Amino acid sequence: MSLGLERRPSQNPFPAFWQPSSAPCAGFALLKKSYLASRLPVKVYREQPTTPRRGSVETVGRRWWRRLKLSDGWHLSMNRKSQTATRAEAEMGDGLHSRTTALELEPGAPSDVDLMRGIQAQDPEALSQLYDRYNGILKAFILRVIHNDAEADDLLQEVFMEIWRQAKNFSAKKGKPLGWMVTLARRRAIDALRKKKAYMRAEERLQIETERQPNAWVHNATEEQIRSDDTRLLMSRAINSLPEAQQQAVELAFFQGMSQREIAANTNIPLGTVKTRLELGLKKIYDALKGLKDEL
Amino acid sequence: MNFEEFQNCSRLYVIGALEPEELEQFEAARKKFGTKAEDFISECYALHEAFALSLRPAKSSAALKERLMSMVRKRQQP
Repeated sequence: MSLGLERRPSQNPFPAFWQPSSAPCAGFALLKKSYLASRLPVKVYREQPTTPRRGSVETVGRRWWRRLKLSDGWHLSMNRKSQTATRAEAEMGDGLHSRTTALELEPGAPSDVDLMRGIQAQDPEALSQLYDRYNGILKAFILRVIHNDAEADDLLQEVFMEIWRQAKNFSAKKGKPLGWMVTLARRRAIDALRKKKAYMRAEERLQIETERQPNAWVHNATEEQIRSDDTRLLMSRAINSLPEAQQQAVELAFFQGMSQREIAANTNIPLGTVKTRLELGLKKIYDALKGLKDEL
Repeated sequence: MNFEEFQNCSRLYVIGALEPEELEQFEAARKKFGTKAEDFISECYALHEAFALSLRPAKSSAALKERLMSMVRKRQQP
């Protein structure tokens, strides 16, 4: 049962024990910031139906409430929307338009769109900030395609040069900066992969990759690391929930840039089956993404 | 091609997995469905972002950013 302290717009309801020195776990700072910044429901209470592990942040139930055990029997419970809304507001500065932001931004930090506008105006500092924000994600993406660290660095540099040169072609009306950047990165990486020519047959590559990095899409981070990014967690779960055959088809099409016919030839699977698997797999991922947006 | 079939094709289209013969049909349907089709294709591009966000960020070399920024500043010089 909630014992009050529900958020009121005009008050800061943090009890005295919620000072930084008493932060009980790694997720505390984010929760506190979300609580202060969001206009969505957060409760502090002394009782709850089940007891989470002390100091842990847990996702609870279908409504995505998170709860955090504090001290002296106090708990915080927060709607998922509270946390993600805060991230989105920090990202865009104008509400919930950026719903799959990859990073938590400092308050007052320029949004991705602001940075793209800066790059369009030929401001190197804007590119520098965009690089700091997304080089890790883009490099991971490129590595996923070409599996070579040095080549990935070279391609990453090319991608950011292309962002600098092609920024004028970006339109916020057509999509978000990260989606646009990933599209550029993917095209570059797949082109590089095709140029190599000497790469192994796709099936062997996939097998080796699976042995080296089992379930690489979704298990290449510890659970704790994944948990720190809600979007990554949800997307990983969506991809991981696909049947293996669909995962393989999507993997070969998306990360290896293969056509349906190439996938069929490389895996000895009938073309019609490949098409069905791809359609189903992509639809499920798309629906999960849409569900995430609706949730927010 | 009805709109549901068009949606299935759109998801393949944005990742470049449509075969040439399908591409022709897809473009015809794209014209037929007009703005509705363009809006849906734009939404499908979010798939790219979703795949990227499912990966754990990787570290790149410290020198890389310096090299990049140096190239950018050189390009800016008249």
